[in-house]
Amino acid sequence: MSQVPVLEAKGICKYFGGLKAVENVDMQIQKGDVFGIIGPNGAGKTTFFNMCTGIYAPTKGEIFLQGENITKMTPDKIARKKMARTFQNLQLFKFMSVLDNVKIGCHTQTKTNMADAILHTKRYKRDEKYAVEKSLEILESIGLIDYKDTMAGNLAYGMQRKVEIARALALDPVILLLDEPAAGMNANETDSLREFILMLNEKGYTIAVIEHDMKFIMNSCNRILVLNFGQKLCEGTPDEIKSNKDVQEAYFGKGIVAGEAVKVNG
Amino acid sequence: MQKIKDFYNKYKVIILLVLFVIMAVIPFLGIETLYIRYMCNIMMYATLAGSLNAINGYSGQMCLGQAGFFAIGAYTGAALSKNFGVSFWLLLLVGGLLAMLIGFLVSLPTLRLSGIYLSITTLGASEIIRIIAQTWTPVTGGTMGIKQIPYPEFFGLDMFRPQYYYYIFLFLLVLFLFVTNRVLKSRVGRAWMSIREDQIAAKSLGVETSFYKSTNFMYGAFWAGVIGVAYAPFVNFIDSTQFTTDVGFNVLAMVVLGGQGTLVGPILGAAVVTILTEALRFLESWRYVIYALLLIAMMWGRPQGLVGASKSMLAGGKIKVKEDKAKAKAEGGSAK
Amino acid sequence: MGYILNQLLNGICQGSIYALMAIGYSVIVGVVGMVTFAYGEVMMIGAFSAYYIFIYVGNNLPLAILAAFAGSFIIGIVIYKLCYERFFTAPRHISLLCTIGISMLLKNLAQIVFGPETKPVLNVVSNKTFNINVFGSTLNIRLLQIVIIVLVIVLAAALTLFFNRTKYGIMLRAVSQNKDASYLMGINVKRTALLGNCIGCGFGGIAGILLGIYYFSVSATMGSAYSMKAFAASVLGGLVDIRFSALGGLCIGIIENLGIVFTAATFRDIFAFAFLILVLIFRPQGFVSKKGARV
Repeated sequence: MSQVPVLEAKGICKYFGGLKAVENVDMQIQKGDVFGIIGPNGAGKTTFFNMCTGIYAPTKGEIFLQGENITKMTPDKIARKKMARTFQNLQLFKFMSVLDNVKIGCHTQTKTNMADAILHTKRYKRDEKYAVEKSLEILESIGLIDYKDTMAGNLAYGMQRKVEIARALALDPVILLLDEPAAGMNANETDSLREFILMLNEKGYTIAVIEHDMKFIMNSCNRILVLNFGQKLCEGTPDEIKSNKDVQEAYFGKGIVAGEAVKVNG
Repeated sequence: MQKIKDFYNKYKVIILLVLFVIMAVIPFLGIETLYIRYMCNIMMYATLAGSLNAINGYSGQMCLGQAGFFAIGAYTGAALSKNFGVSFWLLLLVGGLLAMLIGFLVSLPTLRLSGIYLSITTLGASEIIRIIAQTWTPVTGGTMGIKQIPYPEFFGLDMFRPQYYYYIFLFLLVLFLFVTNRVLKSRVGRAWMSIREDQIAAKSLGVETSFYKSTNFMYGAFWAGVIGVAYAPFVNFIDSTQFTTDVGFNVLAMVVLGGQGTLVGPILGAAVVTILTEALRFLESWRYVIYALLLIAMMWGRPQGLVGASKSMLAGGKIKVKEDKAKAKAEGGSAK
Repeated sequence: MGYILNQLLNGICQGSIYALMAIGYSVIVGVVGMVTFAYGEVMMIGAFSAYYIFIYVGNNLPLAILAAFAGSFIIGIVIYKLCYERFFTAPRHISLLCTIGISMLLKNLAQIVFGPETKPVLNVVSNKTFNINVFGSTLNIRLLQIVIIVLVIVLAAALTLFFNRTKYGIMLRAVSQNKDASYLMGINVKRTALLGNCIGCGFGGIAGILLGIYYFSVSATMGSAYSMKAFAASVLGGLVDIRFSALGGLCIGIIENLGIVFTAATFRDIFAFAFLILVLIFRPQGFVSKKGARV
C-alpha cells in the first residue's frame, strides 16, 4: 500500500465548546476500499464526516484528499475535488424531479454561465447534453430510470436514498461518503442497498460508510474504524473488529450482538 | 390542470405564437386608451413581479426591497434622459446595470445572512435608496421629484402615446420571460433552485452558493432596474413616494398571489392585482380594505398562489401540509 | 456642545420609546416564531385607543396607557387568528404576507373610521422644562421626557418580572425556546403563543401612545415609519432577545438624533437602517453573541 490514500485524516479534533465531539482521529482510506465507520450514538461519526466534507472546520488536525490538503476548504470546493456525500437525514431536493436532482449533481462537471444559458452557446448545448446523458446513465444503472420525472419527495424512502446516492455519483467522485444509508430501511431494502454498494465498489468507486446496522457493515466493508466518545477505538478488517475486546465492550455491550453478527456473516 | 399542461406542452410553439400575435394586435383594435394604459400597467408590474420572483421564487431568498432596485432604474433613466438627453434604449441597459451593481452591494451582507435577516437588510436597503432619492435634490429633485421626463424615441418617432408604451412593455416582458426561461432551464437556474431547496446539500454537490445567491440577486435587480427605466417616462413624473416599501410589498403580493416559482404566476398576479385595484375604484378608500381581505383569504385558501403547484417547496410542501391538516383536525378543525 | 447634549437627551428619550417598541416586537417574534409587518398598525391602534380616552375622559395618562394596551391587545388576538394560528408549519412568507395584508387592512380601515387627518394630542403632560447646567452648557430636560423614560423603564421591569416570576411568563419563555418540547410538557402552545402575541402587541400599543404624546399627534398612517424602526431595533437585538432589542432601540434613537447634528434633519431615517446594515455585516446575528436566534 505505497500509494497515496484517497482520503486521509491526521489527528483531527472537533470541540463544541467543552464537548470533545471528535478527538484525535486518524484514518486512511485506500483506493477501492469500502470503509466502514461505526460507533454508538453520539460517537462523533457524522461530525467526522462533516469535517471531511468541509461543513465543519476541524479544531485541530488536517485532512487530505488524494494527498491534497483540504482542511480549510469550503464544501463546494471539496465537492469540486470530487468528494461526494449523502446525508443522514436525506437532504434531497424534494420538490424537484429525480432527473433534476441528479442533474444538479453534474454541476461541478459543467461550466455553463448565464451568458451561455441566455444565448444557447455551444458550451450550453454540450453541458446540457452531458448532464442529461450522464444523469440518465446513472439512473439507468441504479434502476431509477422509470422514476426520472417523479418528484423526488414522492418516492419511497429506500428509493430516495438511492436518488441521493445517484446525485452524489453524478459528481464523478473519487470517494463517496455515505452517512447512514440504511437508516429507516427495512431488511429487504437494506439488503438491496448492500448489494448496490458492493456493485458500486466493483465498478471502482471508493466508498466510506457510516452505519449502525452491524450486519450491514460487517458484510460490506473491508476495513472498519470504530469510534467511541469521539475517539478512535480501533481500526481493522471486520474479523479483527469482531474479535476486539474494547469494541465488544463499548459497542456490543456483552458480545450478544456481535455473536449475532458473526452468525449472520458465517 | 394536468390536461392543460399536456396540451400546452404539445402545442407549445403554436400557443405562444398565437398569444403573441393577439398581444401584438390589441392596440389596433380601437380599444380605449385608458384600457391600453391598464394593459401597460399590467405588463410593467408583471415584469417587476417576475424580477422579484426570480429571486424569491427560485433561489428562495426572501427579498423585500424590490422597490429600491425599481427606484434606481427609474431615477437613473429620468435623470440621465432629462439632463443629458441619453437615449432611452441605452438607458434601459444603464439603469439595469446600475441596479445590478446595487443589487450586488446589497447581496454582500446578505450572503452571510439568511431568512428574516436577509429580508430586513433588503428592506433597509430599499428604504435607504428611497430616502436618498428624497433628499439628494440636485439629482433626484428631492421631494419635488422629476417632472416631464422625455419620451423614448424610436427611429425619430416620439413614443408618447400609451399604444407605443404598450409595445415597449410587451417587448420587455417577452424579453424577460424568454431570457429567464433560458436561464432557469440551465445549470445556473438549477443551481438557484438547489439553493432554494436545500442549501447544505447544494454546497455538498459543489454549487458555490454565495456566488449563485449573489448572481441571483443581481439578476433580479437588473430586471427591476430595466423596468424602472421604462416606468419613468411612462408616468412622466417620479418622486420618492412612488417607491415606498408598500410598493415593494404590493409587488411581493403579486408574486405570491400568482404563484412563486412559476413564470406565469407573477404575470397573473400582476393582472389580478391591477385589475382589482382598477375595478374596485368605485369603492374609493374601501378598495384597499377589500384588497387586503382578498390577500388574506388567498393565503388561507390557496397559499401557493393561483398557478403554483400544490406540491412545491413554496406551498409548504406536501408532507408538511398533511401534518398541518392532521393537527388541525385533531384540534377541532378550526382550519376549515 | 449644549446642542449635542440636548440631542443626546432627545435620543435617549426617543430611543426608550423605540426600545419599548422593540421589546414588544421581540416578544411577538420570540413567542410566535414569526415576524410581523402589522406592528406599526398595532401601535397606531394603541395610540388611537388612548387618544379617545383623552377626548372623552380627559387627560388621564394611566387610563390612556391601559386603554392603549387593551386596544392593541385585542387587535393582537385578531392578528394571531388571521396570520399565525394556521401557519406555524407553513413557509414563512405566507404568514408574512398575511401580516402585510392585515397592515393594509388596518391602515385603510383606520383612515375610514378615524379619519385621514392628523389629530393633535396636547397637554397630556405639562410643558414644564428643567434647565440644568452641565459642563457650562445648558441641558433642557422636559418633564415629558422624564415621564416617558421612567414609564419605559417601569414597563420593561414589569415585563421582566412577569417573564421570570409568573407561571405564564415561564410558559411563554418555554414556548419561545422550543414549541414541540413545550407541547409535550403539557403547555397549550397555541394559547400561550396567542398570549405572547397579545402582550407584544400591547407593548406596541403603549409605545404608540408614547409616540403620540412625544410628537403631540396621532394619525392613521403613523405606523409604517415606526414599525420599520421597531423591526430594525429588534433585528439589532437578534430578534428574540428582549434585553438586546431594547438596547437596539435605544441605540437607534440616539444615533438618529446625534446623526442629524452632523447632517440635515431629512437624513434622520437613513441612520437607523445604515446602522442596522453595518451591524449586520459584522455581526449577522445582531448584538446577541449566541447563535440561538431561531427565526
